[in-house]
Amino acid sequence: MNSSIIQILLIVLAPVLGGLIYGFERVVRARMQRRIGPPLLQPFYDFLKLMDKRKMMVHSTHAFLGILHFVSLWFALAVLIMGGDFILIIFLHLLSTALLILAGFSTRSIFSHLGANRSAISVLAYEPVLVIIAISAYMLTGSFNVSEIYANTTPVIMKMPLAFVALLVILPIKLKKSPFDISEAHQEVVGGVELEYSGIFYEAIYTAKWLDYIFCYLLVFMFGGNNWGLGLVLVALTFIYINALDNSTARVNYKQMLRFSFWVALPIAFLNLLMTMFHIL
Amino acid sequence: MSLNKFRTKSPWILHYNAGSCNGCDIEILACLAPKYDIERFGMINTGNPKQSDIMLVTGPVTKRSRERLVDIYSQMPEPKVVIACGSCGCTGGVFRGMYNCEGGIDQYIPVDVYVPGCGCRPEQIIAGVVEALAILEKKTKDMEGSVKLHNDPIEQDGQTNRREVAAVI
Ligand code: SF4
Repeated sequence: MNSSIIQILLIVLAPVLGGLIYGFERVVRARMQRRIGPPLLQPFYDFLKLMDKRKMMVHSTHAFLGILHFVSLWFALAVLIMGGDFILIIFLHLLSTALLILAGFSTRSIFSHLGANRSAISVLAYEPVLVIIAISAYMLTGSFNVSEIYANTTPVIMKMPLAFVALLVILPIKLKKSPFDISEAHQEVVGGVELEYSGIFYEAIYTAKWLDYIFCYLLVFMFGGNNWGLGLVLVALTFIYINALDNSTARVNYKQMLRFSFWVALPIAFLNLLMTMFHIL
Repeated sequence: MSLNKFRTKSPWILHYNAGSCNGCDIEILACLAPKYDIERFGMINTGNPKQSDIMLVTGPVTKRSRERLVDIYSQMPEPKVVIACGSCGCTGGVFRGMYNCEGGIDQYIPVDVYVPGCGCRPEQIIAGVVEALAILEKKTKDMEGSVKLHNDPIEQDGQTNRREVAAVI
């Protein structure tokens, strides 16, 4: 009862929480570059400003796909928080990304096409690893339900540490952080798929980005099992790791990214799968 | 609404080089660097006209760049503010009267703030942007305010035409 109230609150407040994480991240990134940085509530100021801009649509399907992207991502997040099926969660997340890719291809802007192309390549890079992590979790708990992982008494990170390493490798791809930010590289493709959005429709994409933060950090939190403190420590460490990586590396090209993902992340995840299968840890 | 006062806290900048010597561009980039750090006012250099509010233009408008200048300007959604950076942008500067240049940006698009100086200082640019924020707020208010009809609606071909009258203000 008590926990279901917390779950519903988390689902409803997810965009707000994600905005706070994004604001905090901008402050941290600025401090890492010895700048003062924007105020903590900066994403919400952006949100308020974008509401007042004139709405410019390329065509209605494009705008609609952007909003659907936001809605389906929120849905995926809700299933993850409620502890639903892991495969379903991965599929819903993939669906939301696919909608965005479709939106990118539906315009005639060449940058939008390039961004959509690169988004599709990033999906190719991180999706297999996620699926293997899901299968390992199934081997461990005997169920695809995430609630089983949340309820696990021994922290999952003790049981499958290599899966956590694989997740750390693919998280920058998922969050579009340097060195794997090829899909929204601002200096090359000017934001990629989000290029043609403006005003209130860009807001949907912008807020979906905050939801993505919550989604990724919840995946990390999952590794704490039923030990909430450990989960939060893992989230904090991952946050520092991702920002440090983002600030200190340069962008690689898509071939290098794919190669890295297939030769480093995928074997690690696979090794983890074998280890869980034969109960080595 | 009281929330409205926060909206000037996030001006997103579009920087366009209309044939400048890069002196002013370097100063604009210096604003983003750690010493002046205009991100503390919430400004981001987006490079995307569809999501930006303030257009920073440098350089005299060369004949090659003027079409793009107008094109980019028309792609920005209202409310928008244009800042002319540097002497070139304001008047043509050292390039004034040359065969390949026009004299300043305001010959093509409406300019709201002029920032002078050959190599305008970052402090001046920041002051200009703060000035632009007040104009941006005023423009947003104008957009929100209800359109007042100065004349009576026109009866035209049996239909009431309010648009012609509203356009007078
Ligand atoms: S004003 Fe001076 S520094 Fe700036 S673009 Fe013109 S010539 Fe270069």
